[in-house]
Amino acid sequence: MITFDDVSFRYTNGDDNNCLSHVDFTIERGQAVLFCGASGSGKSTVTRLVNGLAPHYYNGEITGRVTVDGLDIATTELHQLTPKVGSVFQNPRSQFFTVDTDSELVFACENLGMDVEDILARKQTTIAQFGISSLMGRNIFKLSGGEKQKIACASVSLHSPDVLVLDEPSSNLDSAAMEDLRRILLLWKAQGKTLLIAEHRLHFLAEVVDRVVCLHEGRICHDVTPEELTRLPREEREVLGLRPLTLKDLDNTPATSAGRDHVRAALPAPVPAPARAPGPTPAPAPGNVVTLSGFRYAYRKHEPVLDMESCSLPAAGVTAVIGRNGAGKSTFASCLSGLVRNPGLASTSQKAWKWRERLTQCFMVVQDVNHQLFGESVQTEILLSQPTEDQHAAEELLDAFNLLSLKDRHPLSLSGGEKQRVAIASAIASERPVVILDEPTSGLDLRHMRQVSAGLRMLADRGRTVIVITHDPELILTGCDHVLHLDKGSVAANYPLDAAGRRRVLRFFTTTS
Amino acid sequence: MRPAGLGEREKPTHRGVVLDPRSKLLLLATIATIVLGGMGGSQMLWMHAVLSSLPLAMLAFSGRFVAAMICAAAFGAAFFVQAALVAQGSGTGIFVLLLLSGIFSRMLPAIVAAHYLVTTTTVSEFVAGMHRMHAPDSIVIPLSVMFRFIPTVVEEATSIQQVMKMRGIRVGAGHPRKMLEYRLVPTMICSARIGEELSAAALTRGLGAPIARTNVSHIGFAIQDWIIAAICSWAFIAASLSMIGA
Repeated sequence: MITFDDVSFRYTNGDDNNCLSHVDFTIERGQAVLFCGASGSGKSTVTRLVNGLAPHYYNGEITGRVTVDGLDIATTELHQLTPKVGSVFQNPRSQFFTVDTDSELVFACENLGMDVEDILARKQTTIAQFGISSLMGRNIFKLSGGEKQKIACASVSLHSPDVLVLDEPSSNLDSAAMEDLRRILLLWKAQGKTLLIAEHRLHFLAEVVDRVVCLHEGRICHDVTPEELTRLPREEREVLGLRPLTLKDLDNTPATSAGRDHVRAALPAPVPAPARAPGPTPAPAPGNVVTLSGFRYAYRKHEPVLDMESCSLPAAGVTAVIGRNGAGKSTFASCLSGLVRNPGLASTSQKAWKWRERLTQCFMVVQDVNHQLFGESVQTEILLSQPTEDQHAAEELLDAFNLLSLKDRHPLSLSGGEKQRVAIASAIASERPVVILDEPTSGLDLRHMRQVSAGLRMLADRGRTVIVITHDPELILTGCDHVLHLDKGSVAANYPLDAAGRRRVLRFFTTTS
Repeated sequence: MRPAGLGEREKPTHRGVVLDPRSKLLLLATIATIVLGGMGGSQMLWMHAVLSSLPLAMLAFSGRFVAAMICAAAFGAAFFVQAALVAQGSGTGIFVLLLLSGIFSRMLPAIVAAHYLVTTTTVSEFVAGMHRMHAPDSIVIPLSVMFRFIPTVVEEATSIQQVMKMRGIRVGAGHPRKMLEYRLVPTMICSARIGEELSAAALTRGLGAPIARTNVSHIGFAIQDWIIAAICSWAFIAASLSMIGA
């Protein structure tokens, strides 16, 4: 169905990442293949060569031959590939073209000039198969990320292409939405579609894919079955930047204390030596906690989405906020950071902050880190965050985060992991006692996830209260001390990440995905 | 927390009396020319009242009674203030009030008509309507992208605004030029990136294929469209007649 015959590819924009060199494989009809590897390993390029975006949209030099169902990609126009190849992308916000869900579903079919009666019949079938009748007639801007991704999958399904290409489809999804995505993949598989999936997060794909192709710096280094991949030695998987294939593997992740040194090692920088003694974090002493009380929030004329009873979190530690979609995690972040008016009170033994005061005491790293960075250089970004500009302290901080060589670059020109590091460094620079992060590791590979995790530890070591909203079990097990589990806007559980806590949090993730 | 944007709605309202997108455009154009633009002069006041009530009525017919009532009340108040004050003679205060209510009562109908157009028309219907009018693709595609892109830019700008608030960077805090730069550069870069990804996704779905595009939207003239068309033509004829002094 798909053949790569000694394919090399290099982008003309001078981006040396994501190149391919001498890639050679064949995918049979009906096979489901996972492409994995670290960021920049070239897995996205493989998907782009199959759907034709490379070289027709992202220009580059290609040698060798890529064929899909007998068509040579280099000489086939994009619209001629549309009936054969459907594509789902990483960012749910940027892949819909219309504003309402009904128009979106039929968009490709309309472009292909299909008969109206035929389109409407297909639409009905797809709505039933995907179980999305409740999403019809809606404004896409008002849908959640998971719902948008479902609509994206349904709309490429409508004109029934034989090949489906997914480029990091789960990056912005929580575990419930990932489960929906997994069901969709299984549906396609049952329909006999050929699937190509490029992904970092592997665990939800274990039962979906028949074959795993591992890329390292543009070359294929493994072409194995999922079972064989799990048998690869741990060290090798780490070198390849692979996230675990099953969540059970995470059980063997080094315990938090050992994990800390491990993640520090991940940050290739002169990180200040930890002052704290090794060993599991003791339960926070009464004087050492931040107590949250009275957090309530309701949108106008609706039931409250957040109504939390009082709870205590470690004052100098990292608390992971977990919960299913709609559990109120983002609302909690907005309330805690003081971005919305609310009656909640955050207090330590010394003082208590109301919402308006929290606006100056909390630093928030938002989900889309691009919205966070406005300085004209990395260094300005740090200086802007400091209460009073201090060039010397800024350089020290950049050095600690291994960002010194990038200090004159525009922050928005950096890679995803580097941007996260700049955001965390500016959180430290702000000297605010509370730092809130919303999904800091979505779309990051193993190495970048570890760096974020190390950054969180640095914040906690400097006595900050770190609160991280996350769906990433690996981040929780390597970088967090405490878990706050929200459900339907209230506290379902609040526990330290000791041995029992680790089992508990793992259970939460294995039962949702 | 999100502000209203173009095409903003929970559901496209397809209840009650539905107008063809072309009638909606015609109504908007007529109101803009005659009520807002003042074609035909002051003898057209009665026609202004008729035209102004049309978008209100359509808004109510499409199931948005509350919005229609609020607009009607505001419009009525402006009209009443005008009528009452004209008799009062001169005076600076009265003059300013008269001016404001005059501007308000002229602009409101056009705003309501535009609101009615964007909230009750899907992009697909709009494109179908434009194609029936034989508008060239070079106009239709950019317009349909605007429907999609304006809310995107608003969404990005709002998020950036929130972060600036959190980081304590406000307009007026020292450097106005810098403040503008901090706001505009990320908004533009983020929007451009979304635009690039958007084009890539649309191209893989056959946008721009040299194939006659089909459209699943049902559009077509019904009795209500003919009524709107008749009223609008009547308004234009009356305005033209009053201009040549008949």
